[in-house]
Amino acid sequence: MDNEKLSLPQYDIPEDMQHAIAVTTLDRLYNWGRRSSVWPLMFGLACCAIEMIAAQTARYDMARFGMEVMRPTPRQADLLLVSGTVTKKMVPAIVRLYNQMPEPKYVVAMGACASGGGPFKEGYNVVAGIDKFLPVDVYIPGCPPTPQALIAGMIKLQEKIDKQTMKTNRWYDKKKVDANYVPVPVLGPDLMDPRRYDELKAAAAAKATQQESA
Amino acid sequence: MYGKGILKGLSVTWKRFWETYTEDISWILRGKKRYNTVEGVTHRSSKDTKGIFTVQYPDERLNLPEEARYIPFLVYNEKPDGDKEILCTSCGICAKVCPPQCIWIVRSNNPETGRPIPEPTEFYIDADICMNCGFCSEYCPFDAIKMDHDFEIASYERNVFNMEKLLKPSSYYQSIRPENFAREEAARKEKEAAKAAKEAAKAAATQ
Ligand code: SF4
Ligand code: SF4
Ligand code: SF4
Repeated sequence: MDNEKLSLPQYDIPEDMQHAIAVTTLDRLYNWGRRSSVWPLMFGLACCAIEMIAAQTARYDMARFGMEVMRPTPRQADLLLVSGTVTKKMVPAIVRLYNQMPEPKYVVAMGACASGGGPFKEGYNVVAGIDKFLPVDVYIPGCPPTPQALIAGMIKLQEKIDKQTMKTNRWYDKKKVDANYVPVPVLGPDLMDPRRYDELKAAAAAKATQQESA
Repeated sequence: MYGKGILKGLSVTWKRFWETYTEDISWILRGKKRYNTVEGVTHRSSKDTKGIFTVQYPDERLNLPEEARYIPFLVYNEKPDGDKEILCTSCGICAKVCPPQCIWIVRSNNPETGRPIPEPTEFYIDADICMNCGFCSEYCPFDAIKMDHDFEIASYERNVFNMEKLLKPSSYYQSIRPENFAREEAARKEKEAAKAAKEAAKAAATQ
């Protein structure tokens, strides 16, 4: 960011010093630091991931926004880019990855699938939108969003970071230490439950024998 | 000898790097702009490009082909008095063919006559479900719904577009898809002419 944007206009800076100093608040400096180094988690789910990869290549070059360092571990990542279809089997893993990320952390739902289920919204094995489980910051529509649309979404995220202040961010809330923790979804009747495999198999076998005898 | 392959690979990188500057200089000498112009982007997207070919996205964008499609929009004609003539007749064909079923149309009746009003009262498209397939615009018999080129619609909320957001003038449609627009316009004119000719013939027969 250039000097003009970083410094606050309400302070009078002597003319001859204007290019030498920048008066700013801690918030602005901090936000500037964060928005210029959003490191995404190297994590792709479905076809949208291909566009995410394309956005990282030299053709579109997300390094121009400080987002080139795809981290292979959630512990070094700031951004969970949910790029693709979220299956019921995968969602506990995604939530666990999110919980392992250090704050400040952001979630971007890329594509129709991650935002609302997309073409598979009523599929037996698909979660209709990751926002049912995680706090999503930016939704990018499209199936898939082109690299340019993805970058437009990332700029939107940077705008959001610019507006944040340390006072209200949920991760600086001293009272609620666990404010950021999202419970890992339990494999229940709606999600896939490996504990019920035997039960399901028995039911299927019972039905098969019933049909045979009929 | 080991390492020959690495040197060969690096020479490609080095050539690219070098050509970026020679290209830039040759464009400057020819008095043309290589960056942030349609001409420059076209050249850098072509197979003849040399050196760097990054699209500096927010400052310049790729030239979208006419048939590029994103979220659909509803077309309206501007009437001379500023009113909007919505082409959609709320027939519901698009909602029926939409594979993920993301179109929701609200119809209403005229309170006096009790007959249905052709214009939709509300028209929702869940942009976060839409898979940009273009079926709705293919099937619409009234050319009332068309695929948009605008891809910068990421937002902080779930994107459910209502009629206010979906309606766009036909001049906009003409600007993004000139060929399609011309073809449809010609077909419409032909149809009208045929209808007029038929009526004239009918009138002549009854006389
Ligand atoms: S939104 Fe479309 S492109 Fe993206 S993961 Fe879903 S089906 Fe694939
Ligand atoms: S957009 Fe076309 S297909 Fe859809 S309801 Fe309107 S007129 Fe019918
Ligand atoms: S483009 Fe396809 S998915 Fe989107 S509204 Fe039209 S028919 Fe439905």
